[in-house]
Amino acid sequence: MEVRVSQILGFASEAAFAGRLHDLGHAGGVEYVMLAGEDVHRRRLRARTDKGTDCLIALPREQCLGDGAVLLLDEDRAVVVRLADERWLAVRPRDSAAALELGYFAGNLHWRVRFEGDHLLVALEGPELDYIDRLRHFLDDGRVVLSECHEQAP
Amino acid sequence: MDDTVTADPPARVQPASAARIGIGGPVGSGKTALIERLIPELGQRGIECAVVTNDLVTKEDALRLQRSGLISPDRVRAVEAGACPHTIIREDPTLNIAAADELSRQFPGASVILIESGGDNLASTFSLDLVDYWMFVIDTAGGDDIPRKRGPGVVRSDLLVINKTDLAPHVDVDLDLMQEQADAVRSGRPVILTNCRDNQGITAVVDQLCHDVLFVDA
Repeated sequence: MEVRVSQILGFASEAAFAGRLHDLGHAGGVEYVMLAGEDVHRRRLRARTDKGTDCLIALPREQCLGDGAVLLLDEDRAVVVRLADERWLAVRPRDSAAALELGYFAGNLHWRVRFEGDHLLVALEGPELDYIDRLRHFLDDGRVVLSECHEQAP
Repeated sequence: MDDTVTADPPARVQPASAARIGIGGPVGSGKTALIERLIPELGQRGIECAVVTNDLVTKEDALRLQRSGLISPDRVRAVEAGACPHTIIREDPTLNIAAADELSRQFPGASVILIESGGDNLASTFSLDLVDYWMFVIDTAGGDDIPRKRGPGVVRSDLLVINKTDLAPHVDVDLDLMQEQADAVRSGRPVILTNCRDNQGITAVVDQLCHDVLFVDA
């Protein structure tokens, strides 16, 4: 089955939708489109729901996808967007000199980063191993220590 | 299409605008040549287009398209980067967004706006604030080691185009191996071989665009 989506109707958290989605959920009528990474920024994309419905999404430019965006709502079915947890690689520089160099390096590669205490968190937009390979020279001589990769809700 | 459910947009919401498709890649890989082939192929399918070109400090690519006879010259806008080309397709795409908005207003019948980046390196990527979908064009003469270098443009683009297939035997490139290595780093995203000079592979590119982002029958 294929569904064309030309607008976001609203968000699941809105009172106007919450009750209806709740009822449809109990009847097994809610389908979810899982979006990961940068896909949420697209105005046009083809995505598939957890029940196999192809969604051909073409939004006006002033609308943006987001967690809970309601793409379709009719008598017996709804399609709602869910954002996948984002994966981050956490690394810790050994000292301030290493931190400066690591910061420069990450910026030079245009990595999207966050800061958490003494850790630098790098958004994984590809295989984790690719990022570790890029950091290999830091890791091999101990200037940077790898912490565990973890996921954070959007 | 076996079952289509379409909701009519309420009056306050504007209808979906033209698809914005980015085309990036190294200098000389054939980005403008690809556009020159895409325009008539899209036209044959009834798909109107407009083009934004980016150059460093000139309007060379825009002038080339405007003089090509393939497209009305007023459907082509030039944006000068003035700096590294990726700065206006990724870090701050404001100028390109403004040019695309202007083309959309002026040509509401256009279903697609092609946005050509200036020639850049393998790290070049597009902001999804600017485009809905983007292609990265490399060519065989640039070397068959390009895919396995895993540049972000090669790895993350929605569609990788390997152009100038006709030159492969003249530059000792194993085209099958190049495609195999490209497939290996792209997690299932498509790779299409083209020879723009002889119009080869262009139908496959437009078929892919129709399926992935234009949503019209190929």
